[in-house]
Amino acid sequence: MIPARFRHVAPADLGGCVAALAEGGRVLAGGTWVLPEMSRGESAPAQLVDLRRAGLAELTATADGLQMGAMCTYADLLGSGPVAEHAPLLRTMAGGITGGWALRNQATVGGAAMAARPQSDVPAALVACAAVARVAGPRGARDIPAAELFAGAMRPSLAPDEVLAGFRVPSAAGAGSGYVKLKRGGSSWPIATAAAVVRLDAVGLCTEATLVLGGVAAVPVRIDVSALLGRVVVDDDVRAVTAAVADALPEPWGDVLAPASYRAAVAAPVARRALSAAVADAEEERA
Amino acid sequence: MTGEEGRVELRLTVDGAERTASIDPRSLLLDALRDELGAIAPKAGCRTGDCGACTVRVDGAIAKSCLRLAVADDGCEVRTTASMAVGGELTPLQQAFWDTNAFQCGFCLSGMLFAAEDLLERTPSPSETEVREAISGNLCRCTGYDAIVAAVLSCAAPPVRSSRGA
Amino acid sequence: MTTAVPPRLTGSPVRRQDGDVFVTGRAVYTADVRADGAAHVALVRSPHAHARIVAIDAAAARALPGVLAVVTGDEAAEHCEEIPHGLDAGHLGGHHAVVRPLAVGTALYAGEPVAAVVATNAADAALAAAAVEVTWERLPVVLDAEQALLPGAPLLYPDWGDNLIIERDVGPDDFTAAAADAAHVLEGELRTHRGTAAPMETRSYLADWDPAAGKMTVHATTQNPHVLRTVLAATLRLDEEAVHVIAPALGGSFGLKMYGNREDFIVPLLARMLGRPVRWVEERSATLLAGTREQVLRYRVAAAADGRLLALDVHAIADHGAAAPTHGWGMAHVGALATGLGYALPSCHVRYQVVATNKAPWVGTKPFGKDGATLLLERVVDRVAQVVGVHPAEVRRRNFVPPDSFPWLHTSGLELDSGDYATALDLTLKRLDHPAVLAEQRTARAAGRLLGIGLAFELMPESADIPGALVSAFDTSTVRMSPTGRVTVLTGVTSPGTGNETAIAQLVADELGVPMSSVQVVQGDTERCPYGFGNISSRSIITGGNAAVLAARDVAATLRATARAMLQVEPTEEVVLAGNAAALAADPSRVLPLAVVAGAVHTLSYRLALDVEPRLESTRTYRPGNVRQVPDALGRMQTYTTYPYAVHASVLEVDPETGSVTLLRHVVTHDCGTVVNPMFVDGQVTGGVAMGIGAALGEELVFDPDGVPLTTGFKTYLLPRAIDLPTVELEHLCTPAPGTPLGAKGVGESGFSGALAAVVNAVNDALAPHGAALESTPVSPPRILAALQAVGR
Repeated sequence: MIPARFRHVAPADLGGCVAALAEGGRVLAGGTWVLPEMSRGESAPAQLVDLRRAGLAELTATADGLQMGAMCTYADLLGSGPVAEHAPLLRTMAGGITGGWALRNQATVGGAAMAARPQSDVPAALVACAAVARVAGPRGARDIPAAELFAGAMRPSLAPDEVLAGFRVPSAAGAGSGYVKLKRGGSSWPIATAAAVVRLDAVGLCTEATLVLGGVAAVPVRIDVSALLGRVVVDDDVRAVTAAVADALPEPWGDVLAPASYRAAVAAPVARRALSAAVADAEEERA
Repeated sequence: MTGEEGRVELRLTVDGAERTASIDPRSLLLDALRDELGAIAPKAGCRTGDCGACTVRVDGAIAKSCLRLAVADDGCEVRTTASMAVGGELTPLQQAFWDTNAFQCGFCLSGMLFAAEDLLERTPSPSETEVREAISGNLCRCTGYDAIVAAVLSCAAPPVRSSRGA
Repeated sequence: MTTAVPPRLTGSPVRRQDGDVFVTGRAVYTADVRADGAAHVALVRSPHAHARIVAIDAAAARALPGVLAVVTGDEAAEHCEEIPHGLDAGHLGGHHAVVRPLAVGTALYAGEPVAAVVATNAADAALAAAAVEVTWERLPVVLDAEQALLPGAPLLYPDWGDNLIIERDVGPDDFTAAAADAAHVLEGELRTHRGTAAPMETRSYLADWDPAAGKMTVHATTQNPHVLRTVLAATLRLDEEAVHVIAPALGGSFGLKMYGNREDFIVPLLARMLGRPVRWVEERSATLLAGTREQVLRYRVAAAADGRLLALDVHAIADHGAAAPTHGWGMAHVGALATGLGYALPSCHVRYQVVATNKAPWVGTKPFGKDGATLLLERVVDRVAQVVGVHPAEVRRRNFVPPDSFPWLHTSGLELDSGDYATALDLTLKRLDHPAVLAEQRTARAAGRLLGIGLAFELMPESADIPGALVSAFDTSTVRMSPTGRVTVLTGVTSPGTGNETAIAQLVADELGVPMSSVQVVQGDTERCPYGFGNISSRSIITGGNAAVLAARDVAATLRATARAMLQVEPTEEVVLAGNAAALAADPSRVLPLAVVAGAVHTLSYRLALDVEPRLESTRTYRPGNVRQVPDALGRMQTYTTYPYAVHASVLEVDPETGSVTLLRHVVTHDCGTVVNPMFVDGQVTGGVAMGIGAALGEELVFDPDGVPLTTGFKTYLLPRAIDLPTVELEHLCTPAPGTPLGAKGVGESGFSGALAAVVNAVNDALAPHGAALESTPVSPPRILAALQAVGR
C-alpha cells in the first residue's frame, strides 16, 4: 500500500485534468514510475490526477506524420500500423523496453517523457524523431519541441500546472532509422542509447541526418552530423562524425550502474552503431 | 464513493466472480486483491514492477498489479492464475510447468504463467529467444529459467509448414 | 503368473507432488496466511551507517491514525534477552557482540532497525515509521575491511579495541618449506564483491500471542523452524513448548532465511507486547541489505615446472559488516576449510580475518563461502597454467585428487568421500567439443574479437556439522502408515522450494511399495515434526531422506512380518513390497493388498499372534558416520558429510568497445552421487549456475561514500533474466557417497561456484590477448572496459 493519503481523480477530459491539477498534485499516467515512488514513500502528493479517462490514448496517422496521445503505451506503439510506417524508430525503441509485455501494456511514452529520467529510452528517441509535445495548462495550450522538453535530469520543462496531452511526430517514412541501446543485462536500465535517422535521396546522397544520445548526460544530447549531408555516406564518414561524441557531453551522467567515465567511453561506439544502422536502413529504404 | 474511515467501495470481477470490497484508497490493485478479496495467487516480490510475481490480467491484458492503483481499476475484470484452469483442468501450460519442473519455490509463477500464456496467444510458435524475451519481464531466482523455457516451448503450436516453392 | 514389479521411483523424474497447488496459485506462503485483525509492523531504520541514537521522539507518530504502538530499541530490550548466536565468535577466540532485535544506543549500519511501529494497516504503519523522529549523532564510518583493521579506525564496538570479529588459521602454516623446491612462486590478490541472496519472497512473519494459554504461534519464512523455536524461546524468556513455529511454503531462501536474523524476533516480541496478532512483510530494499562474499584474498602459490601445485598460502580478509547473531561469519571459516579441496595439495594454509564494518551483516548465503574458495583456486590454476605454458585443463588434471585415493584427507582436515574429477573434466570438454571451440577462438582472435573460454572445478562440502553451531549433520524423520495404507512422513528437514518433500516421498514410496499418491510429507511445523535442523548445507536428502529411508524400512519390516503371518509362511520367507501389495518373492501369486496388511497390523495383532510390535510407525535419525569432531594432532576436524563436485566450462565474448559480455555456452558435468530425482537435481544445478553467473557479471551491493546502500531494488541489484543466460548444458556422473544408505550427495549449493569462476576465467581468457586481466569481481562491463583501457586499448 501507498503510505501517504492522497486524493485520486480521473477527469473525463483534458480540461478536467488541467482544472484538477490547478489544485496541486501529481499527474498519473501508466503509473509504472509514480506509483512505486509513492509506495516507497519518496513522493507524497496530496492529489493524483489520473489521465486514463481523459481520452489521451489516440494514436493516428495525420497528413504529415503521427498524432500520439500522452497515454499511448509501448504496446500501443508496437501494435500500430501508422507507427511502423511513420516512426519506425519509436517502434524499435518500444520493442526493447525492459519489463516484458505486462509493462509494455501499461507504461506510457508520455509518462516516460515526463519522468525525464536520463536512463530512459524515451527522451532521446523523441528528440531524434523531432516530436513536438502538446501541453495544456491554465494559460492555454502550447507546443514544446522534444529538444526543449527536458530541462534537466527528472525535470521536464513543463510548468507544474501543465499537463502533457501528446505528441505530434513528423513522418520518417522513407528515412532510415537506427536505435542502439547498451544495458548491463536484462534487468538494467539503459546505460547509453543512440537514436539515428538518416534520409538519402534517389542517388544516395544524404539529405537529412540526426543523431541523439540518451543515458550519457542529464538530458538527450544531439550530435552534429551535418558533415554527412550531401554525401554518399560510407563507414569512415560515420566513424568520423561519431569518434568524438564524448566531447559533446557537457557532463557525462553517472549512476550506480555505470560511472560517468564509462558512459563517456561507450558513447562513441554506441553512436556509431546506431548511425551505421540508420544508414544501412536508409539504403534499404532507397532500394 | 467514500465510506467508513475514508474507505471506498471497489467493484471488480475477480476470477469470474463479481466482487465488491470496501478498500483503503491507498491500495494498489495487488493489495486489494490479496488483502481484501482473498486472491493470493499474485505475490508481492518487489513492488517496483521488476519481478512480475504480481502479474494478473486486467480486462484481458497482462499487467503488474503492483503498478496499478486499485481505485483506478474500479469496474475492471481481473483474472489471476487461480482461474487459468477451467473446471479444475490445468491448462497445457500449467501442466507443462508441472511436468518439466519449471518452478521450484513457485513465487514467480503468476508472472511466468501469464507472460508465457500471453506470448503463445500472440506468437503460437515462438523461438527459444522469443520465449526468453517474453519472460524477461519476470524474475525467477530458483530455476535458471531453462525449465521454464522448455515448458513454454513444449506448448508451442507446431510451426506452420511453409508451402513449397514459395 | 508373475506380477510385474513397478519401476522404482527413486532415480526417476517424478514431478512435484503438490505441483498443481502451485501452478493454480493456491500455495500458501507466510504472507498469504490469513489472520483477521492482525496489526502491521513497519520498522524505523537508521539512515546513517554509524550514528548514536541520542533520542527518539515518537509522539507525532503515535498520534497518527491507526497507530497502535511505537516501540524503541530500549523498550524492546526490556522485554527480551539478547539474541543467542548461531555460532558465537566469542566462544572461539573472537569477540562476542550483543545483538538485540532493535538497535540499542548506536546504529551500526544504514538500514538497521532502531524502532518498530505497529498500526492497523501496513500503510499507516509505514507512514508513522517515517514520522518517528530520531535525533542522531553521526559517528565516523568505516566501510572497508582493510581500513577497519588499521590503527585508529572508527570502532563499531569500542569495548573490543579493534574491529576484528574473529581470526583463525586453517591448515599447517608451512608454505616456505613446502615451496622450497618450487619452479614458480606466484603472488596475487583477488577481490570479491558484496552480493546477496535475493529470493523472490522477502522475509515475513505473522505472530500471535495467546496470553491466556501463554502460547506464541509464529508463521515464519524460515529454513529452520525448530532451531528458530529454540532461539525465540530463549530470547522471549519462554519455555520452548510455549512457542509454535510454522513454516508455510517458502518462496526461495538460499540461506537468507536461516534462523537467528534479528527480524525473526521483532514480530513475536511485538505480538506479545501488544497482545494481538502482528504481521510484517519485509520491504525489498531491506531484503537487499543482507550481505555475503565481500573479501580480499591475498595468496602465494608454489608450483612445479609441470604445473603441479606444491603449496598455497592465503590471507583472507572478510568484510562482514556489523556483527550478527547468525552464523554468517562462518562463511569465512568454511571458505578456508574448502580452499584447495579436491586438488592434491601438499600444503595449504589459510589465515582468515572476519572484520566488522558499517554495513549490514553477512547472512549465510548459498554456497556459504565455498564460492570464494573455488574462485581463488580456479584463478590460481589458470595463472599457473599460463606461467608453465600448459593448458588449464591439463593443469587441473595433473592436480586433481586421483579417483583411487579416497578417502582423501585435505590439509584443512576435511576428508573427501569419493569422486572422479578427471572424468568430469573429460565429459565437460567433450560436451563442449573443446577442439572446435578452441579453433573458433583462434579464428575470432585473428579477427580481433575477444572470445574467451573458462574452466572451473567446484567441490562443495555439504551437510555440515560445524562445532559450536546450533545445527548438526544429522536429522530425524518419522514414517507412519495408517490402517488403510496411507503414509505420512514427518521430517525435521524443510524445503525452501526445491521439491525435497517429493524426493523424500519417492524414497519412502519405494521402501514401502506404495504409489506416490499414498505418501504425504509434512515439514516445517514444530508441533508435528520431530526436532530437526531444517534446510541448510544441502542436507535435506542426506539427512531427512536417509532418516526417512531407515524409518520406512522399520515400517516395511513390520508389514512383511504381518504379511508372513497372514500368508502363514516361515519367517525366512522373503516378502516383496511393491505395487501397493505384499507378495511372496517365491510365489508372487500369494499376494495381499498393502492396505489389508496395514489394517491387519492395527486390528488383527492378537489373532495373527504377531511377534513384532503392532506399530506402523518409526522415527529414525540418520547420523552420517564420517563426521569427526575430535580434533587430530593439528586440531583439524572432519565436519562435512558429502562432497559433490562439478566441472564447468563457459564460453563468452567480450565487446572490446563497451566491455559487454555475451554468454555463448555454459557446460557443466555434475556428480552428486545417487540421484533421487534427476529433474530436481538438474533444477538445482541450473539455478545455481544462473545465480553464479549473476554474481560474476552484475549483482553487486553498492554503497555511497557514507555507507548508504544504493542498490535498493531490482533496477540496481541486477539479477540475471532469461534473456541474459545461455541454456545450461548438463552432463552427469555418479560416484555414490560411500557408507550411506542412499549414496546421495548434497546438491542444493551446486552450480554457483563453478559458474562464477568459469565466467571470471573466461573473461580473463578473452582479455588475455591484450594483456589485460581482471582479478576482482564483478566482471561487469565498466570494469572490463577499465581493464582494457588500463592496457591502452
